[in-house]
Parts: sequence; structure tokens; C-alpha cells
Amino acid sequence: MKQIAIYGKGGIGKSSTASNVAAACADEGYSVTIIGCDPKSDSSITLLGGHRIPTVMELMQQRVEITEKDVVFEGYKGVRCVEVGGPEPGIGCAGRGIIVAIKMLQKISTVMQDCDLIIYDVPGDIVCGGFAAPIRKGLVNDTYVLTSGEYMPLYAANNICKGFARLGNHLNGVICNSRNADNEEAIVSAFARELGSDLLAFIPKDPIVQTCERAGFSVIEKEPDSDIAKVYRKLARSIMERDSACDPKPLTDARLRELTG
Amino acid sequence: MSPAPKPLEPLIMHPRPSSIVAAMYTLRDLDVDVVILHGPAGCSFKHARLLEEDGLRVVTTALDESGFVFGGHDELVNILKKVIEMFNPESIGIVGTCASMIIGEELHEAVLEVNPDVPVIEVEVHAGYRENTKGVIIALESALAAGILSEEEFERQKVLLNEATEVEKRHGAASKEYLEPSRGDTKYAVAKRIIQLLKEDKKCITILNAKKETGYMFADINAAVNQVAKDLGSDSVIVNMANLDDTLGLDRVRAHARNIARDLRGMGVEVHEIIGGLDEYPVTGETVSKLIAEKYPGFDFAVITGVPHAIPMDNLEGMEIFSVTNGPRQVLPLKEMGHDHVMVEIDLHPKTLGVSNIVESEFGATLRELAREEM
Repeated sequence: MKQIAIYGKGGIGKSSTASNVAAACADEGYSVTIIGCDPKSDSSITLLGGHRIPTVMELMQQRVEITEKDVVFEGYKGVRCVEVGGPEPGIGCAGRGIIVAIKMLQKISTVMQDCDLIIYDVPGDIVCGGFAAPIRKGLVNDTYVLTSGEYMPLYAANNICKGFARLGNHLNGVICNSRNADNEEAIVSAFARELGSDLLAFIPKDPIVQTCERAGFSVIEKEPDSDIAKVYRKLARSIMERDSACDPKPLTDARLRELTG
Repeated sequence: MSPAPKPLEPLIMHPRPSSIVAAMYTLRDLDVDVVILHGPAGCSFKHARLLEEDGLRVVTTALDESGFVFGGHDELVNILKKVIEMFNPESIGIVGTCASMIIGEELHEAVLEVNPDVPVIEVEVHAGYRENTKGVIIALESALAAGILSEEEFERQKVLLNEATEVEKRHGAASKEYLEPSRGDTKYAVAKRIIQLLKEDKKCITILNAKKETGYMFADINAAVNQVAKDLGSDSVIVNMANLDDTLGLDRVRAHARNIARDLRGMGVEVHEIIGGLDEYPVTGETVSKLIAEKYPGFDFAVITGVPHAIPMDNLEGMEIFSVTNGPRQVLPLKEMGHDHVMVEIDLHPKTLGVSNIVESEFGATLRELAREEM
């Protein structure tokens, strides 16, 4: 079983990548689970035809007896979707929500064990202990970093690799989600190499992704023959086949500026 | 489609027993040598001190503002190493707190880093549970995982704890949203009434239904009733029931049962009926009920000490009931159950820590003194 998490700067395209990889793997016949760990609970929406599902935390807040069928929903080609949920921005503690929801899921469901691929879609940088819960509880064995070729996303990706180093986690690969920066593929390739890893996929910027998401679908489902769908399929296959990993060596800030200069 | 709502529970208004503290007491019962509280220095201070009276060492990682923000992994590693060096313990417990659990501290990471060669019981607990028995269950689960508790005993304890929770919900401090604390009836007046009944040769049942070490003081009351009857030359028939089975439960709890039974014998008190072990106070009720119905009908009064609200009223009806608790919030529920006289042994628990002999109770002392005056 592959247990993966994709990390990267907020807004860089983690959820799009996660849901397209999930859909592509489901197409190949793998059983797939996606656990959305963002309090906005938008990781699985494009696998569910644009529908939102009740989140683990909102049900806990209502003090209802939660069973598997209340929080685990089947989306595109049987991909099982769970949303952790969490508080509105500015209140409470979203990190604790992830810890609590994951413990609860382990108790009421086998969704985190019985599958070929499980993707934890974790928001933004690993800003507090709770957001690292999937890693620290031993639920994630492969981690990927998603970035563009711009300085700030690279800075975030580099910082996340520092987090991996302290959590004793490995890096299985870098994925580039292009924002049409100059010389982008070369920059991210160099970044990946210097970390000790490599560039697993270069996802070109394509308005089809936005169009499909607005309609509530993944590219794989809505535009299966598009070029970008092919890129996602290739990425999905490399994730499923990959077994190399490195202990990332974060770059200095000076080097990051030089790379993107 | 939406899931069924859980049955409504009463609002919680007064602070409830802490699951963190419950976890620590459980580790003591498992004869753990040192407990490390991973959290702020002030957390659970009072009980940490009390547990030291009982021979358990309690230390803290003393997380401060920077610990909350940056995590307390290094603090935990350091204190774990220090504790091993200073105390050479045979087993160690690490207990979480609200602060460390909210920020997502992984107790196991520190244990992996230090890699001690004695068992470490990692208890991920905070005080935000409705029932403090949750803290006991989490501690027992961790003890099971650490291999210092058998599966069989674990299952037995779980049943007892669920029953204990039910008892508290039915007639205990968790039965209402707010319970006014009370000292109960004055011991002087109640002692006088018992002496009067004994002088009238009324038939008496005493029931010791105590929770673990609290039995060291509650048993003194049952003993006092017997001693006073003898001193007064009363012809009352007195039947003594006690949850002093020393073949059940954790070793430490069995030892308490042995010690108390030994002291009762020394005081000339015969226990006629053993109604369970010292951890079985939530489940002895039925045994007591059956015994009264089948062997001891028609008694005039009963003196129940420990956890009196766990004994159902079914076969107590018709008797004058005297009960002694150590919970000021237990007075009202006991009165509502129909107990005629309810007394509180205030601060009983602290006085039963670190002892292995029966200790004098205030009500026992009052009874004895009044009886002396009568003679």
C-alpha cells in the first residue's frame, strides 16, 4: 500500500494534483482513498462532481454518533473520500482537528488500511504539530513536494524539506506545477537535484484544469484525452511504481535566490 | 441520512475529576516508578504531590510559552534521560496534558530517541473528556501495549470502568448539571442515632463498598460500629459485608484488600460476606441486594461506606440507611435515593495515600467517643 502526502506552498495546486492523481490511479484499477486535511474541506470536491461531503469535525461538533458511512463517501470510480474539516479561519485549532479526526477514523473505518493508494492532502506548509500528524503517526510513508519555479513556492518547499529532516521523513520526489515562470523546468530540476531528489513531473499551466474544477470535476474525468490528463497519468504511474527516496538536504536561502535569479 | 444524535447528557457546570489525574493514579496502581507529565509545570500539581505520598515520583517537562510554540520534544527527551539517571526506575509512564496534546506532541518520538531499556507507558491523554474513566482506559490500553498488563485483566478493568461511569451518571456527581457541595449531616447527631439503635438491639448490616485505597479509612467506620456495639453490650445482630476479595485486580489493589482485612481481624471485626474486590465497587450492588433478600431479610438499619450510591435501593427499602461518602457533591444524590443520614468524610482520600493500615475516620472517632460517654 502506498501512503502518500503532497506538501507545498498554499495555492500551488496540491489539491488539484492530489485529486487528479487519485482519479488516474482509480482509472488504472487501483483502490484509492483521499483524506482531505484542509479545514476548508475542498480536497475531494472534484472527485464528487462538485458536491461537498460532511466533515469528521463538523459531525463531532454536533456530538453525533459517527459511523463509517457518515464520513466516507465514494467518488469517481470508487475513490473513497474523507474530509477532516475544521474551524473557520481565525478561531479554534485546525491542527488539533487533524489529530482528533485521524484517531476517530482509525477507530470507525478501515479506509486508511484497505487500499492500494492513500493520499493525505495537507494544507500549505506544515505550520504546527497537528498538520504533521499523518506523518508522525506513521500513516505516511512517501512524501512529495509540489512547487513552481518561482522564489516563494521554492522557499516554502525548501522549508518543508527542513521539516522532513526533523521529522525523520524522506522525500520521494519533487513535482513542478508550472506558473509559466522563465526557465521553470530547469530551475525546479536543479532544486530537486540539489535536495538530493529529482523532478518527477512537470505539469504545464493549462486553463483546462481551472475549467474542469469550476465544473466540479478532475481533468481525468472531464477531459480524459487532454494533454494535461496524460501528464497526470504519467505522474500517477511514477508515484505507484516509485520506491526511491532521499533524506533531503535543504538549500541555503542564498542558493535559492541564485537559482531563481 | 444524517447520523443519529447521541442521547443528551446533562450540561457540565462544575469541574469534573481530571482524566490526566485518573491516568496517573492508574499508573500508580500498575506500580510504575516514575511519571513524567508532559506539559506546563502547574498542571495536576495537587495530585502529583499526593501521589508522591504514595511512593510514585512525578516530574514535569514544565512547558512554557516557548514550549507551546516550538514544541517540547527536547524537554521530554532531556527529562526522560535525567529520570533514568536519577531514579533508575523499572518502569516509566509519560502522561500527556491538554497543552501538549493540542500542539500535537508525539510522546513516542522522545521514547524512540532515548530508547530506554525499561518499559515506558505512553499515555496520550488530556482533561477534556466528559468522564475521567477515559483517562484510566487510555492508561490501561497503553500498559497493555507496553506489555505490563494482561489482556484478560484489561478486559476486566474495562467492564468495571464502564460500570463506574454508569453509576456516576445514575446517582453520582455526574447525575445533574449542578450539584451544590455539602458536608451532609452532622456526625454527632448521626452517631447518637446509631448508638440509640444499638442500645435497642436493632439488627444492623454494615457494608464497606470502597474504591481501592479509600477503604483504609472507610473500613474504620464499619469497624467502629462493631466495636461500639460490643462496648455498649448491645445484643444487636451485626452482619458485615465488604469488598475485600484479595484475589481480584491489580497486585497493588489486592494488597490493600489484604491489609484492610488483616486490620479488621485485629480489631475483632468479622467480615461475614465478601462482596467483590476493591476495584469492584461499581458492580457489587447486585450481590448485596441478593444477599439481603436471600440471607438477611428484616434488618433494621444499614451503614454503607465508600461508594454507597452504587448499592441499589431495591432491598434496602424498609431499613434506616446511614451512608458515608467522601464526595461533598454526593450528599444530595444520596438523599434523593432515600438514604436517611448522609455524612461526608472530608479530605479522606489524601489521608489514605501512602498507608498500609486502617486510618481513623472522623465519624468512627465520633462514634467511639460518644459510646464512651454513654458507658
